[in-house]
Amino acid sequence: MINKLIISNILHRPIRTAVSILAVAIEVGMVILVVGLCHGLVNESAKRIEGVGADILVQPPGASFLMGLTQAPMPVKIGDRLAELPHVLAVAPVLFVVNSVAGLNVIYGIDMDSFDRVTGGFVYHGVGGPLQAPYDILVDDVYAKANNTKVGQTLKLVDHEFHVAGVVEHGKGARLFIPRPTAEDLQGVQDKASIFYVKCTDPAYTEKTAEAIQTLLPNNTIRPIKEYMALMTSNNLPFLNAFISVMIGIAVGIGFLVIFLAMYTTITERTREIGILKSLGASKAYIIVAILGEAALLAAVGIVAGIAGSMITRKAVLALYPTISVDLTWDWRLYAACLALMGSLLGSFYPALRAAQLDPVDALAYE
Amino acid sequence: MFISPVIHLAPQPDEGERKDHVEPIICTKGLKKIYRLGKVDVPALRGVDLVVQEGEFIAVVGPSGCGKSTLLHILGGLTGPSDGQVCVDGNDFRLMSDADRTRFRRHKIGFVFQRFNLLPTLSARDNIAIAQDIQGNGFNPHRFETVTRMLGIEEKLNHRPYALSGGEQQRVAIARAIICEPKILLADEPTGNLDTENSQVVLDMLRELNRTFRQTILMITHNPDAAGVADRIIRMRDGRIISD
Repeated sequence: MINKLIISNILHRPIRTAVSILAVAIEVGMVILVVGLCHGLVNESAKRIEGVGADILVQPPGASFLMGLTQAPMPVKIGDRLAELPHVLAVAPVLFVVNSVAGLNVIYGIDMDSFDRVTGGFVYHGVGGPLQAPYDILVDDVYAKANNTKVGQTLKLVDHEFHVAGVVEHGKGARLFIPRPTAEDLQGVQDKASIFYVKCTDPAYTEKTAEAIQTLLPNNTIRPIKEYMALMTSNNLPFLNAFISVMIGIAVGIGFLVIFLAMYTTITERTREIGILKSLGASKAYIIVAILGEAALLAAVGIVAGIAGSMITRKAVLALYPTISVDLTWDWRLYAACLALMGSLLGSFYPALRAAQLDPVDALAYE
Repeated sequence: MFISPVIHLAPQPDEGERKDHVEPIICTKGLKKIYRLGKVDVPALRGVDLVVQEGEFIAVVGPSGCGKSTLLHILGGLTGPSDGQVCVDGNDFRLMSDADRTRFRRHKIGFVFQRFNLLPTLSARDNIAIAQDIQGNGFNPHRFETVTRMLGIEEKLNHRPYALSGGEQQRVAIARAIICEPKILLADEPTGNLDTENSQVVLDMLRELNRTFRQTILMITHNPDAAGVADRIIRMRDGRIISD
């Protein structure tokens, strides 16, 4: 019977119900999508680095594991010394150029031959081929689809015009590739590299080779690709963690306040009904359960709507912005659901307590 | 299980007298109730002595503000007395907490109000059944059928209150009040919002309940015709009983 009372109360006030459900749905959807976007960004970036096919990354001293943040390029001749080490099959120096026009891209300045030796070569889509002229550029298929870029077209990046020489399969470190000497010109440096991708003759030699590189370059940052992949989680990115926490806080706050307000006004509106229940002998617990049950049901419907909404929004985001990755995980859906439920129950607890403590005579006389 | 302190206000009879002695279902002595409005004390009851036997149908009449409703609220456990003794079905209110009074109300009291006080979001059926749910003994279909048939509302059970006439709403309210077989039915101006025809129907039903089930009824009314159906009329003025 108490369930009937809860459901009938919810159906009796459709606007309040819709607003409450919408607030919880926004809360849940916001948590899932913010986390999904952050995880997607990190995971997609990590997968692309893994996709290069190298076993070891060699970076300047104190370099961040976030590609593109490295500000101290290394002499490119280090690559020759690395190539002489035992079990090293190929070394590819890459110089990063950050393009912030029309979005943020890290452009790889590469030497075609060495990069092909490490990666196994690009897979080209349709016509087009490798970098030949200084202002040739290769774009990956995801970038090409998102920007409607075709072979032969001119792209304006970092204040220069590039000729699109080819569209390549995605997943080789970056979405845009230019010749390393051109990248050096753009950066105003000579014979420099931001990172060396090192491929071993056999992955089993990775640790041994990494130790040899560390001995050779004691101040540099040497990371086997497995270690790098383990580092590339949002937990290891303090600013991302803080961002996620703030966004979750805002989302939960919205849900809490809306439910609090909805239930508080409901209690005021239904003071007389609470008086009726009290006259029938309803205990404080009965009234608290009825109010919390109502909030829990609103939260449950909002959670389902939020999860469904996040899935629809993800599809829309991917359709509109193909370069963005959104990773929706079931553990975060569960976490968002628990947060929303707890927020709703907390938000309705004070109104429920207030209702339970109403004087029955005053409540029955309430107009 | 309902457990509450039981006191005997009247002197205890000897063993020989015991079989003839009938414990009153309601007994008040020097009952006072003072409401505090801001810094002013407003006495609503100034010492009410009342004894009601089980099965009586009593009408309480008097002008507005004489304390009739306050008396009803205290006897129903909705509020506590400021002073004096109140004993209802062996339960001394002086020794009972709010929670005890709530349990007492759940099991022993049925209320009927002037404004019907049905829950607007529930059907007539659910408005009646919720009383059984709150009591915690579960739905009793036999009792439900008996009561709804007696009150002539079987055809209206799926209607919401707004789709019922005043008379029908009051009959649903009576059904809700008696569905759990309370010891006492407290009716606060049950015909106050009804026309003459519906008033008579409701009064007839209260009379029928009293006769058929020996239901103890305490009814507040302004209507002398309504008071006329009771076995006993108590008149109140200025917080006191002036005639019985």
